[in-house]
Amino acid sequence: MASSILPLETERLTLRAFQRSDLEALRSYHLDPSVQRYTEVNCKDETDLAAALTAMRKQVSLNRPGDTLSLAIALNNTGEVIGQVCLRWADATAGQAEVRFILNPEFVGHGYASEALGSVFDMAFDHYRIHRIFARCDGRNDRSARLLQRLGMRLEAHYREHALFQGEWDEELHFAVLDREWRRSTKVRLFGRTSRVA
Amino acid sequence: MLEPTYPLLTDRLVLRPFTRADLDPVYAYRGRPDVAEYLFDGPLNREQCADAIHNRTAQTHLERDGDRIVLAAVIASENTLIGEMSLICKSQASQQAEIGWILHPEYQGKGYGFEAAAALLDLAFANEHFHRVMARCDTRNISSFKLMERLGMRREAHFQQHEIFKGGWAEEYVYAILGAEWRGRPR
Repeated sequence: MASSILPLETERLTLRAFQRSDLEALRSYHLDPSVQRYTEVNCKDETDLAAALTAMRKQVSLNRPGDTLSLAIALNNTGEVIGQVCLRWADATAGQAEVRFILNPEFVGHGYASEALGSVFDMAFDHYRIHRIFARCDGRNDRSARLLQRLGMRLEAHYREHALFQGEWDEELHFAVLDREWRRSTKVRLFGRTSRVA
Repeated sequence: MLEPTYPLLTDRLVLRPFTRADLDPVYAYRGRPDVAEYLFDGPLNREQCADAIHNRTAQTHLERDGDRIVLAAVIASENTLIGEMSLICKSQASQQAEIGWILHPEYQGKGYGFEAAAALLDLAFANEHFHRVMARCDTRNISSFKLMERLGMRREAHFQQHEIFKGGWAEEYVYAILGAEWRGRPR
């Protein structure tokens, strides 16, 4: 069903399903300590990397609650994979989805993450009929927090010391945007519509 | 992990485990639609109240995640049961708990809720049982979040339309307080 809407194309990026050949790109950012500092599940070695790629290659559509859609972010001009965006369908009756993303630190600062997330939000609201998208990030991860707010997400929660994360008290921010709050990208994009989930 | 000695005493209240004999006073508030408005359950009939009390009689200590202590709040001088207070173990590993309360509307606005909740926070933070205690309520439930604020809890979250509640979109506040904040509060 969903394969018809992939890949998502933006001005500079293509968001597509992961392929076997993406292992090298995955290695280049997943093992980076500055990435691992804020990611929930970390790849420690080649076995973890291969397992992560195998799992993500199968995550190509949202068919039932709990499913995750994982997309590789590739540069249009070189084809290089510079990161990933994952959309998890958290709840069907209330139409909730969580977005997570990683950008290779080498490519940070060019607006690629907002471009990629913007097209994923368009798809989530227009194609999957999601009602609310939320994102969580570490309280110290200023760059991600600013990015999520620039995208138009509201800061809904700021939890202090609510859990242990990598051996320390965690500080966590939650951001959210509702369907009616989301400003669609100006580019006209035709999504096939699935039956409403909310 | 937490097995308090009962009753817990405050200036005016006795907090103690529920007994079967509590049916009438519990039905007096759990049967009211205004009390049920912001609770997950609707108003309870007498039979449902009896079931609820039956469950509560065993909810006196915390052993594992998800366990709850639910206590009857009783005015000591007149032996009147005016509501219930709960302390839930959310995570032992990271020492997280949740508190909650249901009070008979006729006894609200007299500081009983504050007294009882303060006793629960004392219990939760004693001996570093918990590191952080949170509470949550519907954003329309003003008296409930005002009580959280009087306790010195901070508003940590304001969720909008994050779930369906009784057929409509939910809007919820989450408040929290750390042990260090509770111990250091102005008195």
